[in-house]
Amino acid sequence: MKKRSLPKNSNREKIRREKDPIPWRYCLLTLVCGVFLVGGFFLAARSHFSSIDFGIKNSGLKKQIEDLQTEKRRLTLLKEIALSPAEIQKAAKKLGLTEMTAGSFETVRPSAEKNEKPQTVKNSEEKPKAVRTEKTSETKNIEKVGKDGVLKDKTQTVKKEVREKSPTQIAKK
Amino acid sequence: MSKRAKKKTLKNPMQTAFTRFMLIVALFVLWIGGIGVRLVHLQINQHEILRGKALNQRRDTVKEKQLRGTIYDRSERALAMSVKVKSLYADPAEIEDLETTAKDLAKALKVKTAEILKPLKEAKDAGKRFVWLARKFDEEAARKLNETLENKDLKKADLPRFAGLHWKEEQKRSYPYNTLAAQVIGFSNADDIGNAGIEQSQEEILRGAVIKGWQDRDRLGRVYDESSEDEEREPPKNVVLTISNSIQYKVEQALEKGVKEANAKSGMAIVMIPQTGEILAMANYPTFDPNKFNEAAPENFVNRTVHDSYSPGSVFKLVTYGSAINEGIINPNGEVDCTKGFIEVAGHRFNDPHATKWMGYDEALAVSSNVAAIKTGLLSGKENFYNYAQRFGFGQLTGIELPAEAGGILRSPKGWNGDSLASMSIGYEISVSALQMASAYATIANDGIRVQPHIIKEIRSADGKVFSTTEAQKTQVVTADTARSLKKMLRQVVLTGTGKRAQLNGYTSAGKTGTAWKYNAKLKKVDSGKYVSSFIGMAPMDNPSVVIAVVMDEPQGGARDGGQVSAPVFRDIAEQVLPELNVVPDGNTRLDSLTAEEIPSDVEPAAAVKDVKLKSESDSEKTAKVEKSDKKSADTEKPKDLKETKKEDKPPAKNNKNGAKQKTAVLNIEIPKNKSSGNDREEKT
Repeated sequence: MKKRSLPKNSNREKIRREKDPIPWRYCLLTLVCGVFLVGGFFLAARSHFSSIDFGIKNSGLKKQIEDLQTEKRRLTLLKEIALSPAEIQKAAKKLGLTEMTAGSFETVRPSAEKNEKPQTVKNSEEKPKAVRTEKTSETKNIEKVGKDGVLKDKTQTVKKEVREKSPTQIAKK
Repeated sequence: MSKRAKKKTLKNPMQTAFTRFMLIVALFVLWIGGIGVRLVHLQINQHEILRGKALNQRRDTVKEKQLRGTIYDRSERALAMSVKVKSLYADPAEIEDLETTAKDLAKALKVKTAEILKPLKEAKDAGKRFVWLARKFDEEAARKLNETLENKDLKKADLPRFAGLHWKEEQKRSYPYNTLAAQVIGFSNADDIGNAGIEQSQEEILRGAVIKGWQDRDRLGRVYDESSEDEEREPPKNVVLTISNSIQYKVEQALEKGVKEANAKSGMAIVMIPQTGEILAMANYPTFDPNKFNEAAPENFVNRTVHDSYSPGSVFKLVTYGSAINEGIINPNGEVDCTKGFIEVAGHRFNDPHATKWMGYDEALAVSSNVAAIKTGLLSGKENFYNYAQRFGFGQLTGIELPAEAGGILRSPKGWNGDSLASMSIGYEISVSALQMASAYATIANDGIRVQPHIIKEIRSADGKVFSTTEAQKTQVVTADTARSLKKMLRQVVLTGTGKRAQLNGYTSAGKTGTAWKYNAKLKKVDSGKYVSSFIGMAPMDNPSVVIAVVMDEPQGGARDGGQVSAPVFRDIAEQVLPELNVVPDGNTRLDSLTAEEIPSDVEPAAAVKDVKLKSESDSEKTAKVEKSDKKSADTEKPKDLKETKKEDKPPAKNNKNGAKQKTAVLNIEIPKNKSSGNDREEKT
């Protein structure tokens, strides 16, 4: 085997020494690039995972809104069922309320308008005449009180007095 | 030379290093190039396959059906609305032990194990990944089931926390007022498709679209991204009706009571605002519950007020008189000769039990004289009569927003027989729907202007904005003067004629009774045993707030006339509806002492003639007085009515019935004064 005779390189040391500063710069640059790259990856990964996290939260909130809307509709439906005319009528009957009729308007009419209705007044005046035919003591009471305008209450109070008090008490009175 | 060259090369180390470096670079280039080629191959050539695989791993396709639009009444009360419900399904591929799962499920759902195990096994064997287990649970029931089926050791993103089980959202149509306006609203079937009523006619507006979307899930099944592919599509709209739920309820109650009392096959009623054409109530009896439409009889789904057509009978005389008065052919204050008691037209003899004398047109209408109506019709003439019938809206669709509307039958004069005009003048040889009749009376109530009846007030978008509003067409059919004359005549019907039972407590009313024999298709002629009895009226008379039509099909009780069967229902409805509409009373209190004998019969000739004969002289005098005074002033009609009764009361009651009548009449006058004390009345009685 032939021995290779390499030329004596007297300045090899020198060359090595000359090349030394370059790798350091490269290394630094590489390091910076590496850090930048890693940082980029890190940030990208972070934003990726945070976006997934936000996505999950977002979906949760959307679901929550949907659930609340569903609940709202369900409650609206229940409200409608509870406020159906049939239910209201039942409740009103329990409370002792009666249906509104044409007569209900008398209470809200101004007094002047009331006076303009002679027919009704006439009727009320004529009532006792019709009832008078029966000629009982009670109807007489009704007739008297009826002219005063408080037909029912006074008759009832008279009746109550008769029931509750003894004849002697009434006589004293 | 080559040896020398070799030597030279070998001798140059830089060259060698460069060569090696280039070799390495080439290797790298090849490697990166290979990778690049592979990447290009994967990303371009195999893009679709790989993308599909990737999506399949993380993405679910979601099909969501939008909730069907809501139907509201005029006061924004929901008559039909959809709510979300949950249905439970299983994915057999995710279930390892089918038997244990079936046992647990059967326990939770309270069903037999075999009922669950069998479909699960079949699905697993067939490779299916979807099996319904239980459907349409409300939120509360679903929550309870989630608690029952919870497996705490299992990591699963969605509920129930049980292997292979999932919820799927569906929707359920609910009708909160059950039977209320069932035929108007209709119903939608299990596939959420409208099958009757507004649900059917407004299907396009109400229907919720199926929205396709996707959801990206992480390894735990949590959704982290989602989107819908059809976001641009408009959501379904809501429909606001002109119906008032409380009035509808009252009308239905009154109609049900009326149908039961008359023992009728069915009944229908319409309440309409004449000025706007809005339908406040549209009732049918018998009815059904749209929440349980599967259990109901299909014939009850039909909205008879628009779908069924019938011979109207005497209520159609309005058109007869209307056409003649408007053309100046007759004078409403004039008289007509009815002395014969019958009329013969083209060999057909029309008997008239109600009239055997000269009488005014108002009286003729009041007693529903056929002779007078036929004579008027004949005077009016074929073409004129036909034109007016058309202008009133007969023989054509009203255009109401309801499905399967019948236009009725109004033949052209070319096809008429010799007696057709006479028959049509009294409401035969023509078929109409209840809505058409109500619309005709509404025309008179609205001073001769016909407003197209409608039931949809407006259509709103999901966010509540008004999308469209119904604008009804208006047509002048007769002049305002004619309309006023007809109203006066109709008023007479209620005061002294066949419609006495339509007198209202506190309000004036006007209307017309009608009793027609039904046509028998088998016999090809009218069946004298079957009637359609109707009353169509308006109140208050001067400025009507409502027009009410009541039609009874085949009443089978003792009384079958419109005046006896339908007029009381009209009264019931009007007395409840008018105060609710805040209409100020314009009349006096009602005399409730009327009996069938006092009301001229609309149909039965023998009975009616008998009634006329039995009438005492005092009665006829009284009637004459009342009529005269009525002509003087329409406003003072009621007191005269009262006087009329008092005159009846004067002679001591020969029978107890009359005596009882007196008391009832007097007490009824008292009612408004002492309305709060029902007991008071009883005491006096």
